[in-house]
Amino acid sequence: MGELGRLHQLIIPVFGHNITINLEVMVMTWIVFALLIVLGLFASHKRNILPRPIQALGELIVSLLYDLTEDALGEELAQKYAPLICALFMFLLLSNWLGIIPHLEEPTKDLNTTLGLGVMGFLIAHYAGIKSKGFKAYIKEYFQPIFFMMPLNLIGELAKIVSISFRLFGNIMGGSIIILVVSYLTYNLALPPFLYGFFGLFVGTIQAFVFTMLTVVYISVQVK
Amino acid sequence: MELEVETVIKIAAYTGSGIAMGLGAVGAAIGEGYTAARANLAVSRNPKISGDIFKNMLVGQAVAESASIFALVIAILLLFMDFASPSLLKAAAFLGAGLCMGFGAIGSGVGSGYPGGESCFGISQQPQAGSQLTTNMLIGSAVCQTPAIFSMVVALMLIFIDFGNAPLTPTWAAFVGAGLSMGLAAIGSGYGGGLAAGASCEGIARTPQAVTSVTTIMLVGQAVSQTPSIFGLLVSFILMFKTFPESSMLATPMALLGAGLCMGFGGIGPGIGNGMAAEGAVRWVARNVEHSNELMRIMLVGQAVSQSTAIYAMVVSLVLIFVV
Amino acid sequence: MAIEGAEIVKAAAFIGAGLAMGLGAIGPGVGEGMVAAKACEAIGRNPKEAGLLTRTMLVGQAVSESTGIYSLVVALLLLFVV
Repeated sequence: MGELGRLHQLIIPVFGHNITINLEVMVMTWIVFALLIVLGLFASHKRNILPRPIQALGELIVSLLYDLTEDALGEELAQKYAPLICALFMFLLLSNWLGIIPHLEEPTKDLNTTLGLGVMGFLIAHYAGIKSKGFKAYIKEYFQPIFFMMPLNLIGELAKIVSISFRLFGNIMGGSIIILVVSYLTYNLALPPFLYGFFGLFVGTIQAFVFTMLTVVYISVQVK
Repeated sequence: MELEVETVIKIAAYTGSGIAMGLGAVGAAIGEGYTAARANLAVSRNPKISGDIFKNMLVGQAVAESASIFALVIAILLLFMDFASPSLLKAAAFLGAGLCMGFGAIGSGVGSGYPGGESCFGISQQPQAGSQLTTNMLIGSAVCQTPAIFSMVVALMLIFIDFGNAPLTPTWAAFVGAGLSMGLAAIGSGYGGGLAAGASCEGIARTPQAVTSVTTIMLVGQAVSQTPSIFGLLVSFILMFKTFPESSMLATPMALLGAGLCMGFGGIGPGIGNGMAAEGAVRWVARNVEHSNELMRIMLVGQAVSQSTAIYAMVVSLVLIFVV
Repeated sequence: MAIEGAEIVKAAAFIGAGLAMGLGAIGPGVGEGMVAAKACEAIGRNPKEAGLLTRTMLVGQAVSESTGIYSLVVALLLLFVV
């Protein structure tokens, strides 16, 4: 049980401050990147009218996510944001699934990963909002319905980052803790494979989808 | 009058045992009563197949009972535990275990009554879909039990794990808080999961050919409804396994207790709300199968947004544990 | 062990923060769930308007979440300011 919550960290002192790098998370993130690049290369290699299975899979995922973005954002903006949404979903999906391979861990188990992605979504949504409405109208929205609601509206917006990133983190971390504890209690007999299926594959897929959907929704709320 | 350590532990264990079984009986009793009430209605509608309805009712009640059986196990363990190394910490852990299991069994017990009742009623309307209804009911109410199982795991860990010589003063509050966090947070998720499962049985009785879509969306909805109880579990694990430095201040244990209460209460509402969202989606998938994709998407977004208050509660309790 | 007044205030602030956020989360959670359930019903009845309904649902949820945000603000004030 002692391994609960321990991390391999690299601490670099820079001008009196310590920069802490979670090595394990970083390596895991790179593994996901590598998997994604390899998958993308294979799917787009020797494209044909009659697709090979891997090309068909890639086309299926991309077209599904494209339709999803188009439903929420409209055709024009979808062209711009669909690649981002595809990349986000695939990254999250593979990240959440990575834990079912022994000795590998989900990068999304670290709050820094999810918080980073949440901040990214927030910035993109607000950039899109300013661009489509103009700066003045964007600022004006914070003073709705009455001017003194501004601080609360601001906190409400910032709370979106917290909720989107803590949701993913809490689900993945909770799942992996349950698996760890149950394997400890049952001496790795019987239950863990089923739990990996449930928490790794099922919950992982749902949460990756929810995170992606919410990013799309945040963008669409800002734009319209 | 000075109490000995053994006496204090005994007091805590017996109190915890009473709380575990007393609160643990509430949920299952209500749930089974609902099942029986719907089964009576079903028999009055279609007396010819009363045998099938009776069988289905018994199966449904047996599953709904499991939450209170978990509570019984914990209560008996607390009554007859042998204490190898008596310390006051164990007393707090026993009290926490009792609270955790007692509250944790309420939601799942009430919730798993709904699929039982709705499937009985459904059989009276669509006797030929009986086996599908029973299967769906079993799946739905089994998933409903997940929060109760989480609570049992936390209660068992509080009872059995030897926490060594952690400092008494903040740690007792951490154990009670761990129990409250998991137990209270399980109420909403269990109840919400039951709402979704009940709606799915009703939907299958209405359109038996939509069984695959209905069961799928029920499972997804229930899985998302478990999120608040997973947050409760996360907070209670942190409370159990983080080592707190000794402190004689009053504020430190109160912060840990507050963290448990915050996550526990905070999980109730979002759990129920998520269940309602899943209920609506499942009901309308059965009526409008062609648009199950749209319904699934709006259900997930709606649930995700209604979870946000549970997430704020988790953030506040993490601040109470780590920052303060 | 003598407990000073300031310390009681601190302890009360912590418990109060926990209760404020915890109890404050119940109402918005249930309310937003109701909104989502009704939105599902509306899409089931009229799937063509899915985009409009999603946006309406999100606005409604955002408004009903505001009490949850107030709880969060109060809890954070109790933790860091009091």
